[in-house]
Amino acid sequence: MNVAVNVDAREDIPVWLAYGTPVFTVLAALAVSAIALVVLGVNPVAAYATMFVDTLVTEFGLTETLTKAVPLILTGLAVYLPLKAGLFNIGAEGQLVAGALAGTWIGLNVSLPGLALIPLMFVAAAAAGGIWAGIPAYLRAKWDVNEIITSLLLTFVALELQSYLLRGPMQGGTGNFPQSERFSEAATIPELVSGIHAGLLAAVAMVGVTYVLMTRTRLGFEITFVGSNHEAAQQAGMSKFYVYLLVFVVGGAFAAMGGISEIAGAQGRYRAGFEPGYGFTAIPIALLGRNSALKVMLAGLFFAVLFVGGSSMEVAFGVPAALVEIIQALVILFLITAEFFKSYRVGIDITRGPAETPARPQRGDD
Amino acid sequence: MVSFIAGLLDATVQAATVLLLAGMGELISERAGVLNLGVEGMMLVGALGGFITTVVTGSHWLGFGVGILLGMVLALVHAFLCITLKSNQVISGVMLTLLGTGLTTFFGSGWVEESIDGFPQMTLPLVGQYLVGIPVIGEAFFRSTATDYLALGLLVVVWYFLYHSNLGLEMIAVGEDPEMADTMGVSVFRLRYLAVLIGGGFAGAAGAHLSLAFSQLWVPGMTAGRGWIAVALVIFAQWRPRRMLVGAYLFGLLDALQIRSQSISLTLGPDAPLAGVINPVVEFLMTPQIMGTYPYLATIIVLAYAVIRTKSDQLAVPSALLQSYSRETD
Repeated sequence: MNVAVNVDAREDIPVWLAYGTPVFTVLAALAVSAIALVVLGVNPVAAYATMFVDTLVTEFGLTETLTKAVPLILTGLAVYLPLKAGLFNIGAEGQLVAGALAGTWIGLNVSLPGLALIPLMFVAAAAAGGIWAGIPAYLRAKWDVNEIITSLLLTFVALELQSYLLRGPMQGGTGNFPQSERFSEAATIPELVSGIHAGLLAAVAMVGVTYVLMTRTRLGFEITFVGSNHEAAQQAGMSKFYVYLLVFVVGGAFAAMGGISEIAGAQGRYRAGFEPGYGFTAIPIALLGRNSALKVMLAGLFFAVLFVGGSSMEVAFGVPAALVEIIQALVILFLITAEFFKSYRVGIDITRGPAETPARPQRGDD
Repeated sequence: MVSFIAGLLDATVQAATVLLLAGMGELISERAGVLNLGVEGMMLVGALGGFITTVVTGSHWLGFGVGILLGMVLALVHAFLCITLKSNQVISGVMLTLLGTGLTTFFGSGWVEESIDGFPQMTLPLVGQYLVGIPVIGEAFFRSTATDYLALGLLVVVWYFLYHSNLGLEMIAVGEDPEMADTMGVSVFRLRYLAVLIGGGFAGAAGAHLSLAFSQLWVPGMTAGRGWIAVALVIFAQWRPRRMLVGAYLFGLLDALQIRSQSISLTLGPDAPLAGVINPVVEFLMTPQIMGTYPYLATIIVLAYAVIRTKSDQLAVPSALLQSYSRETD
């Protein structure tokens, strides 16, 4: 018997594959993660049932999911926008923390009525996040210093700074917990409906802004052009420098807004370690939604379900919530595997009897 | 002061070994044209795997070997995705870091309280017993763990392998010009797989050294960005093994300074001129969390300096880095 694997480049992508990919990807990731659950002696069906049913059916689960979605959507946009220009922002977590710290400082030290104070907190956060993202952006735009490494290393700097401030100058409340003073009424983001704070509006508005920017403006076109071929874009008179700086700074500002709305909306005070890796989850969110800002929003909602479901699973089964991280990584893994099947048609020929010529994979790179 | 410096140097050697091992692996992988951003994940997997094996079996070397093996397993995934499926190397690498972090947090949660006796300190064989008496540097450089010596030895091996062996030169050729190498009869596919697997093994070894010799315990996320610093180190070293040694010791020193700094006071006496201005600044700069930012800030500054100062033709970045290769012209 003779088996040959044929790999041919596809001319066009079938519709079922184009739209089915995110669904297959997520299902495959859940299936493989089930192995980890089995290893720990937990029934994966029961665990996933808890994860999704509790989250989507109960009122508590739904409000939690919509609240969690706010920082996830905003950090997702912070990765999505640079990705459109061909850059990787792996440091959204640091931008979120830097912004949350700056916004919190304003919230605790400035006394203004809420209508003025909360916008000011958002502006301060956005400025800090923008500056935080601006450092790797400037180094990349001006000198070609790898933005992946610098943006990520600045995350570690932001986390150390957070730990310093909350054990020192910004520490408040009783006891020795690394946390700030509780926000006053004026500095707390009001609730839209019970349990869901108005930060959700900010997230949806920024999705709208990004959507319009990318689909309706010349600037959006330039970003996409620079992302697909920056040399051609520069020949066409577009400034790579300006585009690189812009997507990163705006992205950093988005992440920062996610940080301050989580602190001033959901938490009520700055607690060290409030962020369970939003900036890293932003990477699969941006990759899943890389075709449109609206898809980023959907992907953000999906990961919010995973996070909320992950903690209810932790409570019910004692399974470490790190399972969510494994699922995230597997989603990316299967997503890029699917990219291969999108661009290549793979066929397996099986013929009986001895082959006339030895079977050789015609992959071309062996 | 002398004992402080001796202790600092001792910690420097241990910290430098972590970066040296991870950096060498990354260097080999990148020389063949494959960027591996999964080092951090591979280190964590190596650290936890090595730690559990050592707790269960009591053998450091078995733990070290398992660490290497697990690093290679993750590297195999990276190789399959990037070389066979021609996926984006950046995305695959970041994903593997995420996966390594998730897997080790998930499966390592029960091992946080365990303690082990790490690799024992030993004097360098043959000449160590005579040199260890040298003031300040003797203890640091000639009484270390076996893995410190191993890392330095491997650096020589890697240097020789890359520049003086057929396989190594073929590997460099594959990273510079895969089409040409292919024409010359070198298997791009096989050599890239080999380079990525070796890189993963080194990352796993770096992780195992971290948990078995440097920290002698397991904490989730204990690599704390050292994998990323190793990636930056390769750029700083301009893809050359010898400069890697300088970089690793430089960053090892910063790492060690942060841990050891609490035991020293640099503030001026109250009567010294400007003490009222300088002392608060020094105290702020010496706060443990502020010192914790130094290795990362230094990496960014040094990386930027290395890139800005060097003309692009001297930078020696492998020409085919990040490019997947297939024979069909596409």
